[in-house]
Amino acid sequence: MQNDPMQAVRAAVACERVVLENGLTVLVRPMPGYSGVHAIYGTKFGSIDLDFKVDGQQVSLPAGVAHFLEHKMFESEDGDAFAKFAKTGAAANAYTSFDKTCYLFTATQQVDESLDILLSMVNEPYFTKATIDKEQGIIGQEIKMYDDSPDWRLMTALFSCLYHAHPIRNDIAGTVESIAQITPEMLYACCKGFYNPGNMVLAVAGNITTQQVLDACKRAKLPAHKAVVERVQPEEPLTVAKPRMEFSMQLAKPCLGVGFKEVPVQGAKAEIICDMLTELICGGMTSFYRTLYDQGLVNPGFGGEFLVLDGCCCFLFTGETSQPEQVRTMLLEEIQRLRREGVDEEIFTLCKNQTYGEMLQDLENIEDSATALAGSFFRGRALTEEIEALASVTKEEVDQALQTMLQPDRSATVIIWPKEEGEA
Amino acid sequence: MLQREPIAPGVFLNTIPADKFNRCRISLHFRFPASREKATDQALLPLVLERGYSACPDMTQLSRKLARLYGAALTVETSMQGADRVLSVSITGIKDQYALSGENLTAEYAAIAFGVAFAPYFENGLFSKEAVEIEKATLARQLESEVNDKRLYCVRQARRKFFGDSPAGVERDGYLANLPAVTPETLTAAYWQILKTAQLDIICLGADAEAVRHAALEKLAAVERQPAPLAGYLFMPARPAQHFREEMDLVQAKLCMMFTWDQCVDPAQLNAFRLAMSVFGGSTTSRLFLNVREKQSLCYYCGSRFVSPTAFMMVDSGVEPANADRAEAAILKELQDLVDGPITPEELENSRRSLLSGLSSVGDSLAGLENWYYTEILRGGQVHTPEQAAEDLNRVTAEDVRRILAGFSHSVSYLVTKKEEPTHAE
Repeated sequence: MQNDPMQAVRAAVACERVVLENGLTVLVRPMPGYSGVHAIYGTKFGSIDLDFKVDGQQVSLPAGVAHFLEHKMFESEDGDAFAKFAKTGAAANAYTSFDKTCYLFTATQQVDESLDILLSMVNEPYFTKATIDKEQGIIGQEIKMYDDSPDWRLMTALFSCLYHAHPIRNDIAGTVESIAQITPEMLYACCKGFYNPGNMVLAVAGNITTQQVLDACKRAKLPAHKAVVERVQPEEPLTVAKPRMEFSMQLAKPCLGVGFKEVPVQGAKAEIICDMLTELICGGMTSFYRTLYDQGLVNPGFGGEFLVLDGCCCFLFTGETSQPEQVRTMLLEEIQRLRREGVDEEIFTLCKNQTYGEMLQDLENIEDSATALAGSFFRGRALTEEIEALASVTKEEVDQALQTMLQPDRSATVIIWPKEEGEA
Repeated sequence: MLQREPIAPGVFLNTIPADKFNRCRISLHFRFPASREKATDQALLPLVLERGYSACPDMTQLSRKLARLYGAALTVETSMQGADRVLSVSITGIKDQYALSGENLTAEYAAIAFGVAFAPYFENGLFSKEAVEIEKATLARQLESEVNDKRLYCVRQARRKFFGDSPAGVERDGYLANLPAVTPETLTAAYWQILKTAQLDIICLGADAEAVRHAALEKLAAVERQPAPLAGYLFMPARPAQHFREEMDLVQAKLCMMFTWDQCVDPAQLNAFRLAMSVFGGSTTSRLFLNVREKQSLCYYCGSRFVSPTAFMMVDSGVEPANADRAEAAILKELQDLVDGPITPEELENSRRSLLSGLSSVGDSLAGLENWYYTEILRGGQVHTPEQAAEDLNRVTAEDVRRILAGFSHSVSYLVTKKEEPTHAE
């Protein structure tokens, strides 16, 4: 690698990092020439955090609480946060994933005011039985919307096949029944445990200075307490819970999912290797994908992904196919062939190139930049470390990983068949 | 600010400054009147073009070439703009300064984009029979799978009922029934006709404009250009509302309502339309969001969108099957309340602020810049900057919003809902 481009890259990933006395990590990337600001206030609290101890007190939650809490955080005693953001012109939103909850806004004016709203909305929680009851109706409809999505159903079915007890088996939003069990006390316990500054990040990118962000933190009078949270994940054997599941939906073509359960990996390099493996097995550059595509066995959306969370690590290969059994067999054979012969040297190099370009792409817009900053906090490493880890990955390390990963005896298969006329 | 200059008959080079981005982008947009007869050929064309071109005929090798260029993204796609169709070839990739071995990346991007558009891979003067057959099968699967996404399916069905036989109703993805008749000969003929007669807008964002101009002129020299008139914008006449209902196995029903504005849109009114949509159903402070979703809990999502080339408004929503009638009535009531009742200064200004914020950030992404300026070009007449639009938006009044909303007439409601369970044995 030459010096000059790497200097340009370091400049592209540069950000300012401050950890406040109360433990909050503040990451800022001023982006000259941009009009807008994108801010993310995130906590390491997602749908898989169901059992934990906060300051020694044991808490057990029904599925869907993190997502439910995300909805409730938009309400406070003095009104709805959307209404407050409307006064500043900011576009606000939030999302919950398996391991985090993020609140965000994009604004081009009154940025300081928008930061004040963002920081106050999760630091002044307000829950009553009546507001909880109302939210259950809205979230119930959201759950039903996902029930009609074959992609979502396929993924959740794969998780429930791969895992015996890990909470990834549950839908992020929970079920209508599980969210009916939520009480104000549970929500307050989650706030105490996970919405404390030491567990959170404020990542901001765009037309802003670090001082502006730090001033906003000062104005917000964030709580000083640093609650001690201890997550408790259930024992999870490496075997799969159920090797196969089939069901039907109103579809035109069957959907296939093949998942592989892995020992959780740690570190940037290991994660990059796993991400590359999905591309090396069935990405657009491979002859294997070409065979599947040209034979009409899969649609362009067929592909693999890798996921690693606390106590959970897996590969998922999913897509639409009229021949799910054949595609599954071919996929397993291809993995076996690569294990035997090693990955293609040329595709491996190209994969590294492509990943490098994607990393730069993720730092181009204010939204992507703030997301990348927040992601670096959640993963516990700086963006520069990831680029350096990518540069150091070797084909031998990828081949080595294949010797232990993606084993057929730790795989599960899900097929969704089109529902036939008259089928209930 | 966009620099636009004609470089050949019906061909324009549009340059947009994009220095601050890590990547650059080159797009070629071919615009021509949509045709029902040729729709399936025109829909298949992007799939075949994207497989490769004369200098790199193989699909897998092209994927590898793009990966070698640090994951440059090539897209070939088609879209409908009123009664016109647009075939777009775009490439986006990191700028030269990030190339690890000092490669001239932008020159390579231009070679690929112009190669795909102007020098496809032919065998004996025709698209490869094998490629055509493979992509016909791919397109067939895509068309058959439309029902998998219930929300999109409902919207498409509503559009079909709304547009009927109008040229604006030509299917972007073509027709399953017409696929067997597509051959390398028909596809090649469709390609040459586009190359010869379409209006071509080349958009260059952050790439070397001179290199792009050179590549364009070199390729165009080999084409006998005869630009044809475009279809332009249109509207569907008002008619009594029609209701359609389709039952399938699903959990949440989808309701899509189509409203015509009953006349073509005057570009001078665009910002009034933008504000009207935001107040009615286009934001989290809109009447549909606050009243139909939040207060009445009738929908999980419920939003409105206006499409200016065909002058229609669409409201789509996800509803409890049992609440579909109530949801429709509530949506119509919110529209009528805005037409008859007060529009508060607060809701008007909230919407205006949100739109102004969006206009200010158009320049913060390559996609934002390209979408804005190409939409302005498509509209014809003077090209406005986001700043000019913001100035105009500041002048829109509550009365303007009311007049816009009063002009909508409900034409179609399409409901995709759960199969009704038999209540008793016959």
